Amino acid sequence: MTEIERALAEKLLALADDELILAHRNSEWTGHAPILEEDIALANIAQDELGHAMLYYELHCALAGGTPDRLAFFREAADFRNVQLVELPKGDWAFTMLRQYLFDAYELALLAQLTHSAHRPLAEVAAKVRNEELYHYKHTGAWVRRLGLGTEESHCRMQTALNELWPYTAQLFTPGADEEVLVKAGITPPPAEVREAWAAKVLPWLEAANLSIPLAPTVTLRRAEHTPHLTRLLAEMQSVARSDPAAEW
Amino acid sequence: MDTQWPRWEVFKQDDPQQPHRSIGTVHAPDAEMALLIARDVHVRRPDCASLWVARADCITALTAEEIAADPNWHIENIPPDAPMQLYLIFQKTSQRRAMTYVAHVGDVEARSPREALRLAMERFGTNKVFVWWAVPAGAITRSEAGVEASWFAPAREKKYKQQSEYGDVGGLRAKVRRNL
Amino acid sequence: MDNTYAQKLAEFEARIARGEKIEPGDWMPEEYRRQLIRMISQHAHSEIVGMLPEGAWITSAPSLRRKLILIAKVQDEAGHGQYLYHAAETLGITREEMLEALLTGRAKYSSIFNYPTLTWADVGMIGWLVDGAAIKNQTMLAHCSYGPYSRAMVRICAEEAFHQKQGKEMIVKYASGTPAQRAMAQDALNRWWWPSLMMFGPHDADSPNSPQLIRWGIKTKTNDELRQEFVDEMVPEFHAIGLQIPDPDLKFDPATGHWRIGPIDWEHFWQVVKGNGPMNAERLAARRKAHEEGRWVREALAAYAARMA
Repeated sequence: MTEIERALAEKLLALADDELILAHRNSEWTGHAPILEEDIALANIAQDELGHAMLYYELHCALAGGTPDRLAFFREAADFRNVQLVELPKGDWAFTMLRQYLFDAYELALLAQLTHSAHRPLAEVAAKVRNEELYHYKHTGAWVRRLGLGTEESHCRMQTALNELWPYTAQLFTPGADEEVLVKAGITPPPAEVREAWAAKVLPWLEAANLSIPLAPTVTLRRAEHTPHLTRLLAEMQSVARSDPAAEW
Repeated sequence: MDTQWPRWEVFKQDDPQQPHRSIGTVHAPDAEMALLIARDVHVRRPDCASLWVARADCITALTAEEIAADPNWHIENIPPDAPMQLYLIFQKTSQRRAMTYVAHVGDVEARSPREALRLAMERFGTNKVFVWWAVPAGAITRSEAGVEASWFAPAREKKYKQQSEYGDVGGLRAKVRRNL
Repeated sequence: MDNTYAQKLAEFEARIARGEKIEPGDWMPEEYRRQLIRMISQHAHSEIVGMLPEGAWITSAPSLRRKLILIAKVQDEAGHGQYLYHAAETLGITREEMLEALLTGRAKYSSIFNYPTLTWADVGMIGWLVDGAAIKNQTMLAHCSYGPYSRAMVRICAEEAFHQKQGKEMIVKYASGTPAQRAMAQDALNRWWWPSLMMFGPHDADSPNSPQLIRWGIKTKTNDELRQEFVDEMVPEFHAIGLQIPDPDLKFDPATGHWRIGPIDWEHFWQVVKGNGPMNAERLAARRKAHEEGRWVREALAAYAARMA
């Protein structure tokens, strides 16, 4: 692989891992959501994200070999490239909706540029993903507003969730080791620009939901660093697949 | 008080050549959520071009049987200053196909729901109409134009939900029967 | 019973005999309404509780495709519960009332969902066997005389077809897979075969409701008829992939072309129906917990809507 291909393969893995881990967290709500209709709605988001993960994994494997299933079920936590934001446990409904909202907004900001990527296959996948993300964003935006403004309890839970989640958002915009290579090649946008577009959306929306943005130190972590939550998540997620590694399911 | 939220009737238009049809309800707290939820609950598979929702308690419904049982059904005191409103009229016109319930047939202006139904019966006729609905236009929330790609197209992509993705279940049975 | 009532009842039964649908707002005997509310709400509860046995395996589904399919399947079950609660609501009962009955243990639901899912292969077996049995019942109910229930069933049948097919795809694959997979598939069949047969309900002789339900177009086939159809379809399919039916008395009767099964353990069935199945308490507790923990959410959105109105 060339230097650009190596960098791109790493980036695609990160995009895929984000979607897979977030889809997994969302799927934990199946059968336990606050109301039947929302069980159905969150399951839709989880399916979309899993679909996105599979698309990004395919693009990665086209460059680096391997298969999506082997990547998902046979890597150790240290080899995953998702942000820590998505591996945190699902928490309460406020936490899940707010995390989803913050991530959806990031995806939209990123995808707006990725649809113009110099890497054609990525631009095509980005267009497809973006359509579904537009809908997710409407859905989670509506929830954030309503929970922020609803009752004292819902507001309190939302503020607590925001206080916990906000520091983790910085990692979404932390440049990877080879980010410059991709930016120069017009394959991915500069992370700082994505952050600016993201902030322009979320800051006014959170404010309108009566939520205060915490003053938190921005800890910039590389995507190879994970919390113990990921190890536990993978232990469950990979358990059946690893019980019979030669099997096809 | 903890409730399951009010009920909203959902109307789906499969393609632009078809009328909007009643396909069920959703429980939702407000109109915007009702529309989003209606898409998630009722458009999990193709096809959909447009979605409407209206709070169930805004709808006036009458069956042909109810009308026949009470010839004075339309008699009411309408206040003299009652404003004219636009009502959307829906009819059920078939007994045969199990999937058919009420579909949008047209609109009338009237000062009350019952007057709207009476005018609709005059305009559209009552022959072979089994159920009538009148819905105030102002009570309907509609999906926006131009949202096809993000609202409705994704359902088409999810082919793994279609039985055709899984090969022939019947094939094995037929093969086994031939061998008996 | 006065003349007016007798007349109305005769007209009502004539409409059904003509194949007309009874719609919300039409006259109906109280007993018809009562039976339908009972049947439909039980059916809805079954779908909702039924999300849990398979839903538990989403987080360890062994391939991305299986994970995706399982999320979609469990989502469908929620959707089916939604359509059915809606049909019951048209008869005058509220969702709050139905949920209250379920969560306090008063309402019944299909006893099949009180069994544990012990291995990944159970997911495939539930799809093929349990959903297969459900489809037989649902296909019949699609002809039901009550409009909203019949329409819900048509929609459910269309969506359920993929449930059975994806389950079959899994089991067929595992039956000719690794030794561990083959053993897993056989073990799943051993545990799910009899509960699936019991899904069709008691023998006809022990089903008091059936004759009236048939006269009112709510049922069109008897329990035993459906059960026999199911057995005749499924036995050859399992044999064809090398799996054994866990019934030492199973015998093919060449005179009738039917597969005759051994005796059903009804004692066990009634225990499970009464709520003493292995997973009853746990599954209801899970639904109760979700409901309780969701209270602040429902209240928050209601409060927001009230202020915006």
